[in-house]
Amino acid sequence: MADIHADIDALKEFRDALTEFRYAQREVVERGDHEIEVTRASLEAKAGQWRSLLARREADLVACERAAAAEAAAGRAADCSAEATAVQEAQERLDYIRRWQQRVEEEAGTFRGTADRFRNLLDLDLPRTENHLLAIISGLQAARGIPVTGS
Amino acid sequence: MPARPDEDGDQLLRVIDSVWQKTRQHWLDDMAGHFERTYWTPLLAESRTYLRALGECLEVMGTAERDTEF
Repeated sequence: MADIHADIDALKEFRDALTEFRYAQREVVERGDHEIEVTRASLEAKAGQWRSLLARREADLVACERAAAAEAAAGRAADCSAEATAVQEAQERLDYIRRWQQRVEEEAGTFRGTADRFRNLLDLDLPRTENHLLAIISGLQAARGIPVTGS
Repeated sequence: MPARPDEDGDQLLRVIDSVWQKTRQHWLDDMAGHFERTYWTPLLAESRTYLRALGECLEVMGTAERDTEF
């Protein structure tokens, strides 16, 4: 014989599952936000490393050019092309990282609106939905004369 | 390697959807239809929209990381 209160039992199970879903999805949101922050921090660290390297390589180039000028005055040839190439490489990589930083900010900005809506859904709408289900369960129990045993 | 958060979120959505499908088999009155339209369907849609956006966003983050490893 089918359980005549199967709907109530199913609704209770669904309501409990919805509460678990809310907490677990909240963790998903936190982890998503964290991964974005990790990427931002990582790109900033890489940009910082290449900024430092660029400054060192620029100083090396200046020193080389000074030495080359002295060599030239003494009638000898000197070559700073390796230092110039190193400066150019550091500048290009720094520019490349900056372009990625910009792209990441744009992407995170676009995502923020959707994430905020979902956060509101989890924090505000879902508890209301759970309460609504609880009211339905209580109503069904009352209509059938089943004692209410808490949420 | 742990799953990406959007993949975990998808899995959670599949689980709650299966619980809902089971609930729907037993909950047959008018309130069930109203609940489905007013609460459940928007929740499902909003969750899917968020998880899709998160997945796309994390793809970009991953590419940014890999592309800047010189």
